[in-house]
Amino acid sequence: MSSELAAFRATLAQAIGADHVLAAVESTAPYAVDGVCPPLVLRPGTQDEVALVVTACAAAGVALVPWGGGTSISVGNPPQRLDAVLSLERLDRVVEFDADNLCITVEAGLTLARLQALVAEKQEVLPLDPPNADRVTLGGLVAANLSGPSRLLHGTARDWVLGLRVVLPNGEQVRCGGRVIKNVTGYDMNKLFIRSFGTLGIITEVTLKLLPMPEARASVLGLFPALAAATSVLESVQASFLLPEAMDLLDPTAAGLLLPTLGLASPTGHLLATAFSGSLATVDRQVRDLEALVAGQGGRVLTLRDGASTQAWQAITNVLGSVPPDLLRVQIQVAVPIGRTAGMLASISARAAEQGLSAAVTAHAASGLLRAALLPAPGLPADSALEALAAATLALRDEAVALAGSLTVQAGVPAFKARVDAWGQPGSGFATMRRIKDAFDPHGLCSPGRFLGGI
Amino acid sequence: MTHQAFVQSLRQIVGAANVLDSDVHLQLYQYDAYLEERRPDAVVFVHSTEEVSRVVKVCHDFGVPFVPRGGGTNLSGGTIPFKGGVVLEMIRMNRLLEVDVPNLRARVQPGMFNLELGNALAPLGYQYLPDPASQKAATLGGNVAENSGGPHCFKYGVTTNHVMGLTVVLSDGEIVTVGGEAPDQPGYDLTGVFVGSEGTFGVCTEVVVRIVRQAEGVKTMLAIYDSIERGSETVSAIVAAGMVPATLEMMDQLVIQAVEKSLSCGLPLDCATVLIIEVDGLKDDLEAQTEAIERLCLAHGAREVRVAKNDAERALLWAGRRGAFGAVARLTPSYLVCDGTVPRTALPEVLRKVAEVGEKYDLQIPNVFHAGDGNLHPLILFDWRDAEQKERVMKAGMEILALCVQLGGTISGEHGVGLEKMDAMRLVLSEADIRSQLKVKQAFDPSDLANPGKIFPAPLEVAHVQ
Ligand SMILES: Cc1cc2nc3c(=O)[nH]c(=O)nc-3n(C[C@H](O)[C@H](O)[C@H](O)COP(=O)(O)OP(=O)(O)OC[C@H]3O[C@@H](n4cnc5c(N)ncnc54)[C@H](O)[C@@H]3O)c2cc1C
Repeated sequence: MSSELAAFRATLAQAIGADHVLAAVESTAPYAVDGVCPPLVLRPGTQDEVALVVTACAAAGVALVPWGGGTSISVGNPPQRLDAVLSLERLDRVVEFDADNLCITVEAGLTLARLQALVAEKQEVLPLDPPNADRVTLGGLVAANLSGPSRLLHGTARDWVLGLRVVLPNGEQVRCGGRVIKNVTGYDMNKLFIRSFGTLGIITEVTLKLLPMPEARASVLGLFPALAAATSVLESVQASFLLPEAMDLLDPTAAGLLLPTLGLASPTGHLLATAFSGSLATVDRQVRDLEALVAGQGGRVLTLRDGASTQAWQAITNVLGSVPPDLLRVQIQVAVPIGRTAGMLASISARAAEQGLSAAVTAHAASGLLRAALLPAPGLPADSALEALAAATLALRDEAVALAGSLTVQAGVPAFKARVDAWGQPGSGFATMRRIKDAFDPHGLCSPGRFLGGI
Repeated sequence: MTHQAFVQSLRQIVGAANVLDSDVHLQLYQYDAYLEERRPDAVVFVHSTEEVSRVVKVCHDFGVPFVPRGGGTNLSGGTIPFKGGVVLEMIRMNRLLEVDVPNLRARVQPGMFNLELGNALAPLGYQYLPDPASQKAATLGGNVAENSGGPHCFKYGVTTNHVMGLTVVLSDGEIVTVGGEAPDQPGYDLTGVFVGSEGTFGVCTEVVVRIVRQAEGVKTMLAIYDSIERGSETVSAIVAAGMVPATLEMMDQLVIQAVEKSLSCGLPLDCATVLIIEVDGLKDDLEAQTEAIERLCLAHGAREVRVAKNDAERALLWAGRRGAFGAVARLTPSYLVCDGTVPRTALPEVLRKVAEVGEKYDLQIPNVFHAGDGNLHPLILFDWRDAEQKERVMKAGMEILALCVQLGGTISGEHGVGLEKMDAMRLVLSEADIRSQLKVKQAFDPSDLANPGKIFPAPLEVAHVQ
């Protein structure tokens, strides 16, 4: 170890305690980013300690990747440099829960599931429901702009974050927003950090707006032999007054993974899952209307209420996690205009089939967002498998871009990422993004190279 | 550089008739709905993104600042050309370019009035939700730049929650398109950052907004109170009961009296305050929601609750609310609108303290506001010809903002900082916060030509020189 490095580690140990500066391979290995094990893992225990760590790293020119629950760490290109992982896991305190004002402030390392359990005690809920709630941290949720099925009714992090505290790459601590629900005091800095994937600083605290817990929840699942029938129901709902909280569409593969959990045996087909929440009167009415629509299109109906409904959505949200493991597995997210979602679902299956891949596809069908797991045919040599995965992904990206949408790689082995950029070509506005990055992180120390266009 | 050469270059782009630089014309563009004035050097009517880009490029080449102007209804001096230069008159870019029902989007030019968009969508059964009370005269570009709110924002969120994409001309003339019809575009959320940037990042020339189906039903009610405290307590009680009404608006006695004098909406003149509460959504539970709210209001001291029986009655209630600023404007030659925001439960306390500020400075301060959002609008009445009075007004205004901050709130909920609240920024932001915001400004507008001299307070003097 060079004397400089030794001095740096001593500074860190002083700042956060030697126990929280991990350097042994067996303790740093779980924090590998795109297959690269970081030389150091730093685990500050407070927001001020994060600032100390970042300041020390800035002074030493150490490149960091922030780490929340690790559920989205696979998103993005491999880091250009990785000198240390900064783990927020010890920042898991509730700073203030102001139930009367439907507002909560927490440290960035608290998990979504723990937050939900806490606010549920006061009959409140944060209506953001990405997969892996037990591991997703609030900081990670914000940085990666994670969303789930209920984005249909409730939107995404940008609609629920009231305030943030961030440690900038130079170690300075700043506040964005506040804890009131309307705030135009200067620029809307929250938006800058939401979806910035750790490239502009370290989010250390999040203030969120909450909703009163709805009186009732129910889901209507419709299983359709043909995609067209499911799409037709979807369109009828969109044209109606109904206000579903979520409408997810699963292709037969994804649906097949779920059916045992839901107690729906074969036959297979496309699954359209719709959730309603609100007063009992409105939920009942919407369930009735939707059951009629599903039956009208020859679908099989399964209606679930309360606990059973919640469980079903957990399974639906996490369905790609139950795809059989494969070393070369690729996961993509495709965004298109709302009306193109069902068509894109079909395209994903088709492009995958053309390349001899198997695919499980799930869509937030009325929000324009799809996710798919792509797997190579068993027994294919790795090189041909990677070729096929890349070809399908790039073809789908072209299709999405032609619809003014995008395709991002959510997970893939480094050899795959070497073939396919995680984000695609930067478009209009990129020069401004670059200037923002350079202004906040002039030395490229925060997640360098992981984001769009090499940012 | 001569003024003549500059104006000549502008005329070559937009035609002679679309550049104004006579004294009379410039005078018309030296003020907005705030209290300060500054004359521009030229006014340019623009008609397309291309034209804006070329005009801005000329400004850039000549080093002349520019200020986009929509309806001029902003209340913080946002359109005052503080450092002179060009006012870009956006009002002719007022077309609805596309309504895309399957994708639930509309593409609009920024000079279109908010209400016009609403009127165009209504026959199709759709709506654009943010609805500033000024919607008749405020443009979508202005709404975007101020991140405007409105009565229905308690349930539905403010402008930023409904703007999905923008076309923007930056200060060097570059045309940038961000966001759009598909969600979650890779890269930084420039759309989200631009909304609320008060014309200081560049000129918005096209907006992609989210449209939603109109609600199946709506019920509007008026709760009448003899105590303003009880009225504001009710606001929190309704939310605590788990209800999310579409609106929770409040007007106090002075405002009610002013409204009645100019509009005759049938509001009781002798009450202390009224709440306008609206619930909307599926028909099935609107009756039950209305009854539950009525019970809560009565339990919290309302002397009467009236439910609008038809569209005409409903429209009358809203005419009163939307006309409130205008009606108050008839009471005195001027007023200063404060825009502080507090956590909802602090409303009774902040209202009491605002009244104390009024007494302290011997000023009348009627109040009309978005109670559900905790966003108050004390209107400090005065006569601008009286310099001493104006000074008291400014002090009182600043004290009210400081109060809001002390109670956990902030200095502006929806009207923006502009020229008005620059000096209040340090009540909320640290020097590091300000520095970080200025980094974003520099990234969008490195030459500082887009609406310069706004939002940020002057740098602090070096505290002690060694
Ligand atoms: C009676 C009354 C009631 C009001 N009620 C509300 C309310 O309920 N809620 C609320 O939030 N506000 C309200 N306001 C304030 C005001 O109406 C809003 O701020 C509105 O959005 C301003 O729109 P405008 O077109 O008048 O913009 P302007 O006043 O012309 O401009 C406002 C700012 O936007 C910038 N700008 C304008 N167009 C563009 C563009 N195309 N590109 C970039 N920047 C641009 C300007 O430079 C300026 O900084 C009210 C005002 C009045 C007078």
